[in-house]
Amino acid sequence: MTDRPCRLLPFDGLGGYRGFMGILAKIFTWWNGATIGTSLYSLRKGRQVGEDSTGNRYFEAKDKSGRRWVIYNGPNDASRVPPEWHGWLHHTHDLLPHELPAARNWEAEYSPNATGTADAYRPAGALERGGKRAAATGDYEAWSPN
Amino acid sequence: MPKVTVDGIEIEVPAGSTVLQACEAAGKEIPRFCYHERLSIAGNCRMCLVEVAPGPPKPQASCALPAMEGQTIRTDSPMVKAAREGVMEFLLINHPLDCPICDQGGECDLQDQSVAYGRGSSRYDENKRAVTEKYMGPIVKTVMTRCIQCTRCVRFAEEVAGVEEIGAIYRGENMQITSYLERAVTSELSGNVVDLCPVGALTSKPYAFEARPWELTKTPGIDVMDAMGTNVRFDSRGRQLLRIVPRINEDVNEEWAHDKTRHAVDGLTARRLDRPFVRKNGKLEAASWEDAFKAVAAAAKKAGGSVTAVAGDMVDCETMFAARELVTALGGSMLEGRQTGLAYDTSSLSAVNFNTGIANIEKADVILLVGSDLRREAPLVNARVLKAIRKRGAKVFAIGPETDLTYKVENLGASLKTLTKLPKAVADAFKNAARPAIIVGGGALRYEGAHGAALALAEKYKLVRELEDGSTWNGFNVLHFAASRMGGLMLGYAFAGGIRALAVEKPKLGFFLGADEVNYDLFADTFKVYVGHHGDAGAHAADVILPAAAYTEKAGTYVNLEGRVQRGERAVFPPGDAREDWAIFRALSDVVGKKLPFDNLEQLRTKMAAAVPALGVEGLADYGWVVPKLDAKPEGDVADYPIKDFYLTNAICRASATMQRCSAELVHGETFAEAAE
Amino acid sequence: MEVSTSPLSDKDRIFTNLYGFQPWNLDAARKRGDWDNTKKLLEAGPDAIIDTIKNSGLRGRGGAGFPTGMKWSFMPKEPKPGRPNFLVINADESEPGSCKDREIIRHDPHKLIEGALVAGFAMRARAAYIYIRGEFIYEAKVLFAAVEEAYAAGLLGKNAAGSGYDFDVFVHRGAGAYICGEETAMLESLEGKKGQPRLKPPFPAGAGLYGCPTTVNNVESIAVGPTILRRGADWFKSFGRENNVGTKLFQISGHVNTPCVVEESMGISFKELIEKHAGGIRGGWDNLLAVIPGGSSVPMVPAAQIMDAPMDFDGLKALGSGLGTAAVIVMDKSTDIVRAISRLSYFYKHESCGQCTPCREGTGWMWRMMERLRTGDAEISEIDMLQQVTKQVEGHTICALGDAAAWPIQGLIRHFRPEIERRINEAHGAAHQEAAE
Repeated sequence: MTDRPCRLLPFDGLGGYRGFMGILAKIFTWWNGATIGTSLYSLRKGRQVGEDSTGNRYFEAKDKSGRRWVIYNGPNDASRVPPEWHGWLHHTHDLLPHELPAARNWEAEYSPNATGTADAYRPAGALERGGKRAAATGDYEAWSPN
Repeated sequence: MPKVTVDGIEIEVPAGSTVLQACEAAGKEIPRFCYHERLSIAGNCRMCLVEVAPGPPKPQASCALPAMEGQTIRTDSPMVKAAREGVMEFLLINHPLDCPICDQGGECDLQDQSVAYGRGSSRYDENKRAVTEKYMGPIVKTVMTRCIQCTRCVRFAEEVAGVEEIGAIYRGENMQITSYLERAVTSELSGNVVDLCPVGALTSKPYAFEARPWELTKTPGIDVMDAMGTNVRFDSRGRQLLRIVPRINEDVNEEWAHDKTRHAVDGLTARRLDRPFVRKNGKLEAASWEDAFKAVAAAAKKAGGSVTAVAGDMVDCETMFAARELVTALGGSMLEGRQTGLAYDTSSLSAVNFNTGIANIEKADVILLVGSDLRREAPLVNARVLKAIRKRGAKVFAIGPETDLTYKVENLGASLKTLTKLPKAVADAFKNAARPAIIVGGGALRYEGAHGAALALAEKYKLVRELEDGSTWNGFNVLHFAASRMGGLMLGYAFAGGIRALAVEKPKLGFFLGADEVNYDLFADTFKVYVGHHGDAGAHAADVILPAAAYTEKAGTYVNLEGRVQRGERAVFPPGDAREDWAIFRALSDVVGKKLPFDNLEQLRTKMAAAVPALGVEGLADYGWVVPKLDAKPEGDVADYPIKDFYLTNAICRASATMQRCSAELVHGETFAEAAE
Repeated sequence: MEVSTSPLSDKDRIFTNLYGFQPWNLDAARKRGDWDNTKKLLEAGPDAIIDTIKNSGLRGRGGAGFPTGMKWSFMPKEPKPGRPNFLVINADESEPGSCKDREIIRHDPHKLIEGALVAGFAMRARAAYIYIRGEFIYEAKVLFAAVEEAYAAGLLGKNAAGSGYDFDVFVHRGAGAYICGEETAMLESLEGKKGQPRLKPPFPAGAGLYGCPTTVNNVESIAVGPTILRRGADWFKSFGRENNVGTKLFQISGHVNTPCVVEESMGISFKELIEKHAGGIRGGWDNLLAVIPGGSSVPMVPAAQIMDAPMDFDGLKALGSGLGTAAVIVMDKSTDIVRAISRLSYFYKHESCGQCTPCREGTGWMWRMMERLRTGDAEISEIDMLQQVTKQVEGHTICALGDAAAWPIQGLIRHFRPEIERRINEAHGAAHQEAAE
């Protein structure tokens, strides 16, 4: 994963943020990781079943309800859940990633939705890519004598 | 003339009208799907229901009901409204809700009419029907789940295109429209079913997912793929032309266009000449306009009046006029447009014109085709002949090799001598015919004497005659298949003896206006300036290439095969450094020091109208009827027809991937598996 | 309702070999009186024949009940050269419940062939086409053989039956489509096209088979012709009621003790018909639930109304139903009436030709809704919606199949709405109970 501009604060797991600023940040930046309430709830009612490569942690309720949830390591962006966890999280299946068949060799590395970040796709000629367009826009194929 | 009352409006309608036509005459809109003016009546969509008294106490299908004296028709009663809503609901229950991904969106009859006549919501809770896609060839994309079984395509294929290759299989709600054995529809007119389809079941395959109708700029134009002068609309977005669809012109193309007209579009973005080239040390190299002009000017100086211009098949009259003026200014006089070597006499334009007229040929009762493969040379004229056969029972005879014209033709063999002595049955048919016609095609014009013999035949059987209604019937027709031909002949682009005789004169400087069918070996010693838009035969042979505009990129005047002067407008700009043809000649004239007397298109047109008055007026040019004295003793057989591959007749088609695929599949019989299979 | 109830005596039966006790062949048929001096019948001349048929009051036996003699008289009196008249005989008997034409062709084909000659002569037809249902394999064999016999005996072909009139009979087998029983769809099918009804006008009498004037008649209407001519219009008129005269083949099926095809005089009361010929209702008259009196396309009539009703065109019309082909389908109280009608809906969905929108889309919709009503998996309001849908189909189509598909459902809703509601409520109750558990 690339370093993303909106990833504002360091995060050190369920214990929360280090120091006083960390606690303040925890209170006010609700878009990063879990809120205090969710963290407490996860501790009390949840059982952590695993963690993915980016540090998102996955929980299942201890009671019969079977609820599943994720606490993000960083911004709360649902597209950061990789496909192997997505299926489990949404009750599509009950298999944990290590129980799933191995990834095919043609499967690409998963990357979250980049919209709104510096990695977002810009078409040729977009201002973010210098805003330069070819004089002839290349919407035709020129003839060449050779 | 029955008198009927439509919603309280009393009107008189022509005898034989239907109730639907009567309602339209009264200004009432009747929703319809299966009904189409140019096709037979099917009456199966049931959308056009109206209330008619006297009659049974139920709504009647207005498209199939004859208007009778004293009928009272209601199009706004509760019964009619309920009937329309009911039918609309039925049509929609099995129609997918995929408008957002449907190419018909924005020009869909079903969308429009469901907004206007449907209920707000559906009550249908069951599963919807799905239908497998059918293969209909390289032009027509099918999404048959959207089909509402109006059978317009079926009727078009049978009645207009003449190929019975689309039909319905299965019954009830399983009824499906398909092509015969799911093979490509082998018609030159197959693209028209896309326009006919009221929903998105048949859409254009090359144009799939290209654009929405509302984002297109629409420009009226004239097609140059054949000599019909099909009226078309150029649909462009930004700098790019995206599609071409026909405009309605009853006298020319009705509302049809053949596949080349529609789908050679992608050829306009491939192999384009977008900068000047100059041949240096035997190799063409990109150059500036200045350098290119200088090279031409140098050649012009050396030429000393030995200058020619050869027009290609797709050039407009303005280009030919500008080139002619420049050639004349340089002291030359050799002009030719018949690239492939035809050398027929052009002393009388009426003797080389399609005198009957495209619209009138469908009134003919006996037609003799002489060396004309009508289906490939002018598919829309062919459709008119088919109409003459279907509507009036016209008889068609042909001299030339057997070819499938989609209708029954009595072939008289290939010998041109038949022209001088028709078999008795044919002669009798001509004698008894009220409107006899003869169509001489390029296959016969090559042969000496054929033209004269055809004219003699016209005299003998009085093909030019006064009809009972006082109008004149001229049954003598020559069928051209180059858009520039009649315009070129009017502008004097005809050299006695044809292009071979011209080559013998060994011109020093030659302007080749988009001429790609010329045998350039004949012009080995000529300094060849190619003014055109596609890199094809002409560009490869040229010494200097001046990039010009294609027919969609310039306003132009074209004269079609019946002598109809028509104007098209510019839809997009030429690519790169290419310029409009007339402007190139105007600029070049400055460089060679023979400045042409016009600075814009209007001035050019004024000068052209002064030189050839008929080109200044849109509409049919009057050539009179003058029969030249010609050799009328043809020898030998019509060996073959000039168009070998309908889909690859000019530089634009040859650059078009769609046309190449059509050619491979429909002419050369290659099979293409669908990508999904 | 006043009903004439003199049962038909054996001497007055037209179809004397209905049950195949004698062979079907020409010799046996001649013994039964067929082909008996047909020449003399024809000598009276076309107009006289048509007049006799008109006087006899014979109404088409195919279901619509249009006066046969009048139909024949619509044909051009002098066919134009190159445009001969044609007679087409509809033996595509596919209506659920109907089986009379099958019996006629199977056991008495010469009645039909002689009738074809007489009717064809009367309407100046050049030839008759008998369009026989594809599934009738044995019957088609018999008919082919019978026509062959007739040709061999000089009864057909040039100088047919010595009358000096040239007449051909062609037998054409269908391919198993109900819709080809519709007269114009039959013409399309005969021409080798997809069997889809044509738009009317033009009517077949103006432009029918191959664009020539054509009359399409039911097998029974044609087969009774010669006998009417021999015994006279007055004899035929002596059975039944005003406007509903003659004898008729009734086909009784369903929950009766002895289902049968029987020739009876028109206007016989339902009760008498069943008692006399079908051995009564299974489980007694109290066990009768409803009757579909004319084949699947007519609305059903509940027991109380049908009991004393006269079985003829007008009598049943008064009950909101129709005589149709007189295919009497009897249903007792063990019948799952909703399922029965749902099955009919499936039949129409299956047999819709798919040409015009309301029928193509509506029949499928109606069937699917009927299936849900059958199991109760629906809302009460959907009954009214179904009624509306049938109304949207009825009268909006090219042919009558749309109407035929709509009527049984309308009949069901009219007479058995409480039953449908009960099922829905029951299903909902069960669902509620389940949820509560």
